[in-house]
Amino acid sequence: MAKYVANRLFAMLITLWIIVTITFFLMHAIPGSPFNQERNTSEAVQQNLEAHYHLNEPVFVQYFIYLKSLATLDFGPSIKQSSTSVNEMIGRGFPVSAELGMLSLAIAVISGVILGIFAALKHNGTIDYIAMTFAVIGISVPNFIMATLLIQQLAVTWEIFPVATWSSPMHMVLPAVALATGPMAIIARLTRSSMIEVLNQDYILTAKAKGMSTYQIVMKHAMRNALLPVITILGTLVAGVLTGSFVIEKIFAIPGMGKYFINGINDRDYPVIMGTTVFYSAFLIMMLFIVDIAYGILDPRIKLHKRGN
Amino acid sequence: MKKIVTMLLSLLLLIGIVGCTTTENSSSNSNSGSDGDSQQQGTKVLKLNNGSEPTSFDPPIGFDSVSWNALNNLMEGMTRLDENDEPQPATAKEWDVSEDGKTYTFHIREDANWSNGEPVTAEDFEFAWKRLANPDTASPAAFLAYFIEGAEAYNTGEGTAEDMMVKAVDEKTFEVNLSSPVGFFPTLISNPAFFPVHKETVEQNPEWHTEADSYVSNGPFKLSKWAHDTEFVFEKNEEYWDAKSVNLDEVHWAMVDDTNTEYQMFKTGDLHTSDVPSDLSEQLFDEGKAQVEDQSGTYFYRFNTEMEPFQNENIRKAFAMAVDQQQIVEFVTKGKEKPAKGFVAYGFEDPAGEDFRDVGGDLVTTDASKAKELLEKGMEEEGYDTLPAVTLTYNTSDSHKKIAEALQQMYKESLGVDVELANQEWNVFSTEQKALKLQFSRSSFLADYADPINFLESFQTGHSMNRTGWSNEKFDSLIEQAKNETDEEKRFELMHEAESILFEEMPIFPIHYYNHVYLQSDDVTGIVRHPVGYMELKTADIK
Repeated sequence: MAKYVANRLFAMLITLWIIVTITFFLMHAIPGSPFNQERNTSEAVQQNLEAHYHLNEPVFVQYFIYLKSLATLDFGPSIKQSSTSVNEMIGRGFPVSAELGMLSLAIAVISGVILGIFAALKHNGTIDYIAMTFAVIGISVPNFIMATLLIQQLAVTWEIFPVATWSSPMHMVLPAVALATGPMAIIARLTRSSMIEVLNQDYILTAKAKGMSTYQIVMKHAMRNALLPVITILGTLVAGVLTGSFVIEKIFAIPGMGKYFINGINDRDYPVIMGTTVFYSAFLIMMLFIVDIAYGILDPRIKLHKRGN
Repeated sequence: MKKIVTMLLSLLLLIGIVGCTTTENSSSNSNSGSDGDSQQQGTKVLKLNNGSEPTSFDPPIGFDSVSWNALNNLMEGMTRLDENDEPQPATAKEWDVSEDGKTYTFHIREDANWSNGEPVTAEDFEFAWKRLANPDTASPAAFLAYFIEGAEAYNTGEGTAEDMMVKAVDEKTFEVNLSSPVGFFPTLISNPAFFPVHKETVEQNPEWHTEADSYVSNGPFKLSKWAHDTEFVFEKNEEYWDAKSVNLDEVHWAMVDDTNTEYQMFKTGDLHTSDVPSDLSEQLFDEGKAQVEDQSGTYFYRFNTEMEPFQNENIRKAFAMAVDQQQIVEFVTKGKEKPAKGFVAYGFEDPAGEDFRDVGGDLVTTDASKAKELLEKGMEEEGYDTLPAVTLTYNTSDSHKKIAEALQQMYKESLGVDVELANQEWNVFSTEQKALKLQFSRSSFLADYADPINFLESFQTGHSMNRTGWSNEKFDSLIEQAKNETDEEKRFELMHEAESILFEEMPIFPIHYYNHVYLQSDDVTGIVRHPVGYMELKTADIK
């Protein structure tokens, strides 16, 4: 096990380095500059700015400067918001995005699993159809439409929740729900199909024959196996949701991380592009690692140390 | 039993994945809990939206409206624009101008103080203005200081700070030498780039401007809270020399980036002003709710005079005259913009009190049959049997697309020319346009300072704003002369002549002048929005 973990950690570092390298050179290959403005900017001013951020050096030199600072976990200053470092941006934005993300994941996982189980138990029955209609709507309605609908109905018309901004628990409800619908639908569908499969297994029949109640069968025997596929996608989902959603954060004016991914690229704010990419990749890789470990615990048939070699 | 334990463990793990950072966040938002409702009775709180986090509250750095709209009310330069956009004495009580118009001597008010209680000195100004031009500051606004003798040389690394002619004569007297007599200098220095900074604070703490606690200002308001990316709060600055004229107790600035959300918050009373979502603008205009204010700038198109077929003047003119600006503002943009028939926008008075634009008149007319004639003439001159393919490029956005499509249709109808449309991501577009790789492309200009010369200087040969490849010696020399002319009447004549040369050769053609459309609560009065310049809250009041 320890050897497996060590191997994996090493592989993760290599993966990260490859991502950093590719992103760095791709980013410098796209036309444009962080100082590009529609308005007038004199040549001298432009040169002063470039010198200030070492952008006048050859790209390779910049790459090594960047790797050096990355080794000390320093992402450098943002070019657009010159008084803020990328570390500060992530430090400020990530907790907010993570808070929102966790809330919506909790909603998604709990309601998704429940919907999925009921749908599976009443396979091809009315409940199944209702639950799966929900799921289809959840997948097909984009979250910004959901967000706008929620604001229009619950905030403007009925005035139950505030329209936007981020200051009290009440402010979190609408964005969390809007963000949860997509993942909820995915989880519900996955749970349903794997639950149906598990429920047809021999050991479930045995349990039934022994006279266990449906509740006991589901909770004790079926759920554990049925949730394996859910755990699989949860790694990716967690990384995606916790690092922020650009659209939802923009609509609800939430000070999360989502906007940095998009604005960084639009502004050609190189340190921000790199910082957010590295952070997201590291987080994603870490999540996938945790999921693999979780497999080993959930399913004794999977032996990690063997796969590691 | 063992199974139950593993089951529980796996559930815990699931929750663990989901909840691995719960503890660190739950505390972070509790302190800002009941913010909105804590207003005491009788305090006047204005609620505005800044759109996003200011890029910087350091005067020479935050060269954009998200920084300077707010900063304009935190700090104050020598002058401040009044409701008629005229410069009035602010930190300076008065100023003297030498006979040649090149030396300004400012006398700072005795009671002008910083928010920390210390007096605003001439030394603060000298320090701040040299800091603006210092190449190490890397200020994007540094070029605004080039009117000052020695500033350009200092900024480009050819001169030193000592050569920049700004001098603190004594504690309250500040002397500036200009490289040419600039009549609008008092207007120019109302710009946030020329705000003073508290020298001692800046020298001791280079990060002074990043947090509310360390921020020192000299304007009507002071920065009392700055929750980055969330909101910032202004409080009335009791140290301000004219504090008795300031009506508001607090200004809350939200950072809502989405116009629809902003509008919803305006409707529920969470904001006092809002921009207008584009799909609602017609309706809000009909209901009489949307208000319009001029903004000094022009939406226009550039021809690349180094690319076929636009090296030909007549073909350029044909493409310009086939466009009906009136139709575009009426049926396409629908934002009550004024159609543009010249380059310099409305709002600049000449010595006789007349508007530059009215005197200059229409320099391009809409005339389909004349356009067709010119196109044929141009094609003959160039020996074209068929016109080389024309591609019109704009940066990706719905509003630009609509205008481009309208143009495409006008060219089809009036000239019988099929124009191809292409769009590019903004930064790519901008790079290609500057490198003269686009044949025919959209553009905009917003004035940096309030004088027609700011518009016109853009098209000097090789100017960084030219971006058309166009060059005209006569035009260049007229701009040079206008910049050195002390007689205002003559200066306006020179500028009119320059503008008419620009339109005789037509390297560009205008679509409309910019305006600012907004909604504002009836309870709010006294917010001043200048055509050139930033929002004023000094006189704002709330019922």
